[in-house]
Amino acid sequence: MTAAILGTMIVLLLLGFPMMVPLIIGSMVGFVGLFGGLGQLETLVQQVVAGIQPSSLIAVPMFIFAAEIMTRGQSAERLINLVMAFLGHIKGGLAISTAGACTMFGAVSGSTQATVVAVGGPLRPRLLKAGYSDRFTLALIINASDIAFLIPPSIGMIIYGVVSGTSISELFLAGIGPGLLILLLFSIYSYIYAVRHNVPTEPAATWPERFRAMRRAIWPLGFPAIIIGGIYGGIFSPTEAAAACVLYAMLLEMVIFREVTPRQLYATAKSTGLITAVVFILVGAGAAFSYVISFAQIPQEILGGIGIDAMGPYGVLFTISIAFFIGCMFVDPIVVILILVPIFAPVVQATGLDPVLVGTIVTLQVAIGSATPPFGCDIFTAIAVFRRPYWEVIRGTPPFIIILLSVSVALIFFPQIALFLRDLAISG
Amino acid sequence: DTWRYAFEEALDEVQGVYAQKFKEEVEANSDHEVQLFPFGTLGESDNIMEQAQSGILQFVNQSPGFTGALIPEAQVFFVPYLLPEDQDQLVSFFRNSETITDIFPELYAQQGLELLKMYPEGEVMLTTKAPVETPEDLSNVKVRVMTNPLLVESYRAFGATPTPLAWGEVYGGLQTGIIDGQENPAFFIESTRMYEVTDHITRLGHNNFTTALMANQEFFEGLDEADQQVIQAAADAAFDHIIEYQQGLTETALETIMEAKPDMTVTTLTEEQRAPFRETAADVEATFLEIGGPRAQEVLDQMKADLEAAAS
Amino acid sequence: MTRDVDPGGPGPHDAPPNTTTVDAEILAAAEATQDQDDIDDGLYESGLPGPLGLIDKVIARMEAFALAFGVLAMAAMTVANVVGRFVFGQSLYFAEEVNQGLIVLITFAGISYAARHGRHIRMSAITDALPFRARKAMMVMISTVTAVLLLALSWYALSYVMTTAGRGRVLPALSIPQWWVLVWVPAGLFLTGLQYALTALKNLTDPEIWLSTATRDGYDLPHKDSAP
Ligand code: NA
Ligand code: NA
Repeated sequence: MTAAILGTMIVLLLLGFPMMVPLIIGSMVGFVGLFGGLGQLETLVQQVVAGIQPSSLIAVPMFIFAAEIMTRGQSAERLINLVMAFLGHIKGGLAISTAGACTMFGAVSGSTQATVVAVGGPLRPRLLKAGYSDRFTLALIINASDIAFLIPPSIGMIIYGVVSGTSISELFLAGIGPGLLILLLFSIYSYIYAVRHNVPTEPAATWPERFRAMRRAIWPLGFPAIIIGGIYGGIFSPTEAAAACVLYAMLLEMVIFREVTPRQLYATAKSTGLITAVVFILVGAGAAFSYVISFAQIPQEILGGIGIDAMGPYGVLFTISIAFFIGCMFVDPIVVILILVPIFAPVVQATGLDPVLVGTIVTLQVAIGSATPPFGCDIFTAIAVFRRPYWEVIRGTPPFIIILLSVSVALIFFPQIALFLRDLAISG
Repeated sequence: DTWRYAFEEALDEVQGVYAQKFKEEVEANSDHEVQLFPFGTLGESDNIMEQAQSGILQFVNQSPGFTGALIPEAQVFFVPYLLPEDQDQLVSFFRNSETITDIFPELYAQQGLELLKMYPEGEVMLTTKAPVETPEDLSNVKVRVMTNPLLVESYRAFGATPTPLAWGEVYGGLQTGIIDGQENPAFFIESTRMYEVTDHITRLGHNNFTTALMANQEFFEGLDEADQQVIQAAADAAFDHIIEYQQGLTETALETIMEAKPDMTVTTLTEEQRAPFRETAADVEATFLEIGGPRAQEVLDQMKADLEAAAS
Repeated sequence: MTRDVDPGGPGPHDAPPNTTTVDAEILAAAEATQDQDDIDDGLYESGLPGPLGLIDKVIARMEAFALAFGVLAMAAMTVANVVGRFVFGQSLYFAEEVNQGLIVLITFAGISYAARHGRHIRMSAITDALPFRARKAMMVMISTVTAVLLLALSWYALSYVMTTAGRGRVLPALSIPQWWVLVWVPAGLFLTGLQYALTALKNLTDPEIWLSTATRDGYDLPHKDSAP
């Protein structure tokens, strides 16, 4: 029964149905099977609505809105220029700056795809001109965007937090360590790449230019201050920090930079609403599907089958990592989180694993999976935005994916990479 | 048959202990099986309630505080200083109250629900970062409350700043100072590690968290008498079990907290200290009469009569 | 997620090592992809004829307004709550419920709007590789099945709203009937189903392949943020 439902869903997905369709059909078949008819489909609707109602989810549209306003205005560009002014001239500097810019932009953006567009758009021509191959450039952009997914805010972490009942503030803190570690490793790889391929070095920015870049970036640097300072300084909940970012973005781009008009603000709000809707209908449909999963007690069935109870914490963490990584190679990360988190929840609890650590690993895995062939969603974003063929987009990804996977293994054995900041905040 | 039973807490918390005893009794005395669904597995509190109403679930445990959205009279359990602090009086009230045996079953029946049992979960305690002895101490203290107008009103009357916040953000909110306090029974403060992020527990004596088990009425009425009796007996047995289980539960929970965090303080306010808090109850009662539905006055009056009977 | 992209174009390119030369064509394309892709509601053409088309256009405008209004109101509500707590020492106890209502509005107005403009997340990698006729047949099949599914679901959603209204459940803080925030659910599902039905029809009557009544497959600029 379970296998038949999952099989049908995967087939519908691959046939190109809108992603909500396989999820809704899967839940419907489940409801009909469980309750012997169509009589209880009202509860399916109830679960779809309940799935989008947790108040923490409000943070998702708010962070998207703030990032959209900034991308439309000047903030994103100013942050990128700041990074370039300091890192552009070292060996591999442009590539390192790209990873750095993803980190900077990640402090505003909660999604990998927005980062691919906001950072990749302006930097790709510069990377190409500087002599980086297109396949390296594309792979760098889609993989460095994962850093933005780990640096708070992160839409993946918000949804994980909502589904698993884990504190989003703690998850946000735990993402910073691994995010910076990936930045470091990508920088090292970029350096090695630049040396091996003899990519020429850019001229260094002068100190006056650097000061100018700093001065120009001061306002946009308020965003990390609002998110990190606001949440951990006891001013905002994560959701409120998101709304504060919206207000700040409006202040910057409409009043100070005078770049965004009220008319554009309306258009931005509309497009934010549109993105929110296409994501949230999946969140809702996913909630209905996960209802079927828990009602039919499927986690027990599946996990019992692979003997997870006997695995111990490392075995469980590896199993979780592999499941999420494979899932995201095929399906949208949010859908994977919605479906898999409830399946693993009982075993995470039984093993006594720290849900914040599990959340960090899950977030990293879905980010990696989203840039991994065959169907990672960042690949398609890159194809769509940069209009390059599929093969060209994925060719350069293996070294990056290997680096990311080793970070993920490191997280399993050295959880402090993620947890030290959180523990610091709690004990302090 | 397989009967499904959902509740609002984890398996090892009070509602879970009650549910396990109920399951044990039913399965021992009939051929039926009871499947338990703890918090979160089938949705939030009002989701499982609706599922019980539509017959997907045969049993649901929901606290009247949540049921208030459906049956406004049920909010009476949020009026502070109404329920007695004395455990024997409290138990006697829950066993014999006409409000519980006569009025509420009628109100629940209008919603297609068979009220099987109401039972106490434990004294509600306030945990805060700064010590609290007077209403002045609560001035500008942001206390997290459930989204319920009466609870908001209670804490406003106490002098605090009631701050509704989703449960998932409470721990982080206390840690960072978005909120300064919250209220819950001791076992819950212990199991959810609320003591880690607050420093003082104050026993205001203002309430005992009440909850209720109910069945889908159509399902219940469709059963033969023998099965109905099995269910009633199981609900009663679980009630006895939970009362016994609660003897010392609060003390054990507080001891566990003190062991984990020796500099935590637990203050039981004296009658004199409680007096100014108690005075605010009249305001909240008035609010209840306003928003408590058509039978609010009747429920409140009968409840007071029941409580008097329990005290004598 | 994927939008439809021409899989042809310049072949795989690899800059030779040790040089700074770059394929001029790729570079030019890279510099040209800074697009603005707002949907202009004024240009939207309905898939329905005559007065029905006019009604449809009005509904499209209302959906667009609901999206923008919902997002702005949500931001305002949340900010007001923070200001209230810090400046006036009063939380808006109803803020959470208002936001929950808005999120339902945004989602269910949005799915219909997204269906009009072909913005729903889907994985078209395999169908994109098919020949024209097969792709067209697939599109008819996908639109039809999706339409039937959503129309059926809208029926159950309506019945859910009626049940909720019958029970008289209210939102605890606002004390307004809960079904008020739920009415968008059947409405949104119905309108979305209708859009897919019209898309199937459009594909049957028009020689081109249509992703939605207003969006031709492969012609619309891929959207940067169809999902996080
Ligand atoms: Na981020
Ligand atoms: Na990625």
